[in-house]
Amino acid sequence: MPRILIVEDEANLARGIQFNFEIEGYQVAVAPDGAEALRMLTGTVPAAEAFDLVILDVMLPGIDGYAVAERLREAGNYTPILMLTAKSRPEDVVRGLEGGADDYLAKPFDLPVLLARVKGLLRRRDWARGGAEPAAATARVGECEVDFANFEVRARGQTFRLTLLEAMLLKLLVQNAGRVVSKGEILEKVWNVTPDTATRAVDNFIVRLRKYIEADPRFPKHLHTVRGAGYKLVP
Amino acid sequence: MPVSGSQLSGGKRRKWLHVTVGVALIVVAVALTVGWQILGATEGARAREATTLRWVVYFFGTVLFSLLIAGLVLIVTLLVREVRLNERQSNFVSAVTHELKTPVASLKLYLDTLQLRELSDGRREEFYRTMQQDLERLHATINNVLNAAMYTDRPVVDAQPLDLARLVRHSIDLTLTRHQLPPECFAYEGAPELMIRGDATALETAVLNLLDNAVKYSKDRVEVRVEVTRNGDGQAHLRVHDRGVGMTRAHLRFVFKRFYRIGREVRRSRTGTGLGLFIVKSVVKGHRGTVSAESPGPDMGSTFTITLPGVIDEPEGARPSAP
Repeated sequence: MPRILIVEDEANLARGIQFNFEIEGYQVAVAPDGAEALRMLTGTVPAAEAFDLVILDVMLPGIDGYAVAERLREAGNYTPILMLTAKSRPEDVVRGLEGGADDYLAKPFDLPVLLARVKGLLRRRDWARGGAEPAAATARVGECEVDFANFEVRARGQTFRLTLLEAMLLKLLVQNAGRVVSKGEILEKVWNVTPDTATRAVDNFIVRLRKYIEADPRFPKHLHTVRGAGYKLVP
Repeated sequence: MPVSGSQLSGGKRRKWLHVTVGVALIVVAVALTVGWQILGATEGARAREATTLRWVVYFFGTVLFSLLIAGLVLIVTLLVREVRLNERQSNFVSAVTHELKTPVASLKLYLDTLQLRELSDGRREEFYRTMQQDLERLHATINNVLNAAMYTDRPVVDAQPLDLARLVRHSIDLTLTRHQLPPECFAYEGAPELMIRGDATALETAVLNLLDNAVKYSKDRVEVRVEVTRNGDGQAHLRVHDRGVGMTRAHLRFVFKRFYRIGREVRRSRTGTGLGLFIVKSVVKGHRGTVSAESPGPDMGSTFTITLPGVIDEPEGARPSAP
C-alpha cells in the first residue's frame, strides 16, 4: 500500500485530497507546513514507514514548497514530489521542476487528473527502478555502474544518489544507447511536459549526470551533446 | 472599475512628475555648463572689471547646483516609492491569486468527489458544509476587492445620522458568528449610544475589517477590547485593542498602504489580500477622520484607533430612538 504525504496548509483541501486517496487504497498523512513536512520526511523512520510520494503545496507558512523540495534533495531524500499549487505561470512550473519536483499540477485541478498523475509518478518510479525485470535494474556506462533499483551511480570509488528525474533521464539514454535522443523526447518522457517547453532543465540535468559518470565532465566520453539534435550516450 | 481608474491616473501623475523633474534637471545641468563656459571665456578677456559678473554667475551657479542636488534626491525618492509599490502590487497579485484559487480549487475538489464517489449521507453533509465555508471565503475576498475599489479616494457625499456604538456592537456580533467564537472573546467598553454623521455601510465595512484583523492576528486565545468614546472636541473615537502577534515599528509605517502585507507571499502565514486596512483607511479618510496603529512590539498585541468628526450633539432628554 503506497504511503503518501500531503503538505498543504489549507485544511479543507488537505482533507478532501486525503479522503480521495484513502478511498483509492493509499495510506495518507498530512503536514500543515514546511517544517513539519521536513520533520516527517527526514526524521528517522523505519524503511517500511517511509513515504512513497509527496504532494507538496508551494505557498506554505514558514518554509515554502520550493525550499522544502530543495532541502529534501540536499538531505539525500529522493521521494518523488508532485507540486500542487495556485502558481501556474510557466516560470513557476520550471522553478518547481528544477528545484526538485518530479511533476507539477496547477490549482484548481481535476480530481481524476490528480489521481492519475500520482499513479503515473509511482509507475515512473518503478519503471526507473527497473520494475520486474532485474536485467534492466543495472547498467554499465564506461567505468561506472548504474543501479536503477537504488537510484545510485557508483564511479571512481564514490557513490552518487540520483533523483527520480535524473534516474529516468539516465534510463532513457541507456535504453537508447548509441542513438541520439532529442530534447523534446526527453521533456515528454521524463518531465511529462510538451516537447516545445522552453526550459534549461534538460541541459542542467545533463551537466549533473556528467558529473557522476564522466571522469572529466568538461571532455565527456560517454554522454555527448549532438548540436541541434539532442544527446547521445555511448556506454 | 474605479480601482483601475484611480491607479491609472495615479500612474500617469507619477510618470509626469518623473518626466518634469528629469527635464528640469537636464535644463539646470545645461545652464550650469553654459554658464561656466561663459565665465571661462569672459574671465580671460576682462579679468579685472568682471568681478560683479563673476559674483552673479557664482551665485546662480550655487543655486542651480542646489536645485540639481534637490532634484536628484527627489528622483531617487520617487523611484524608491515606485519600487515599493511594485513589490506590493506583485505581492497583491500573489495573495489574490491564492485567496481566489484556493477556495475554487477546494470547491472543485469536493464537487469532483461528490460526482465520482458513492458517499454516505453523513459524509455528503460534511462536504456540503466544507463547500459552504469555501464559498463564504470566496465571497469575502470578492467583497474585499470590490470595497477597496469602491471606497478609494471617495469622500462621503450623503452622510446620515447613525449610532456608532450600536454599529460597533453589531459588528462584534457579526465577527463572533463569522469566526464561531464565544462572546467573551470581545469586550465592549464605552458609550451605549453615540450619534455621528456618516455612511453606515462604509463604516460597518471598516469596523468589520478591523475586528476581523484582531481575530486573524490573535494567538491561541482571542482577547479583544473595543472602546467607543467621545471626547470634548466633538470627535468620536473607536479603539480596537488585541493581544495578538503585534508588529515592529518598521511595519507600523506601512500597514495602511494598499496591498501591504507583512512577509513574503510565498511563505504566507495568514489568509488575506493586503486590502483590509487600506479599506479602513479609505473609509475613514472619506469621513475626514484619521486612523492610526500602535504596537509595543512583536507578540505584544496592537491597537488601532479611528477618530471620526461629525458627532451630533443632542439636547438632553430629546434623544431619538435608535434607528
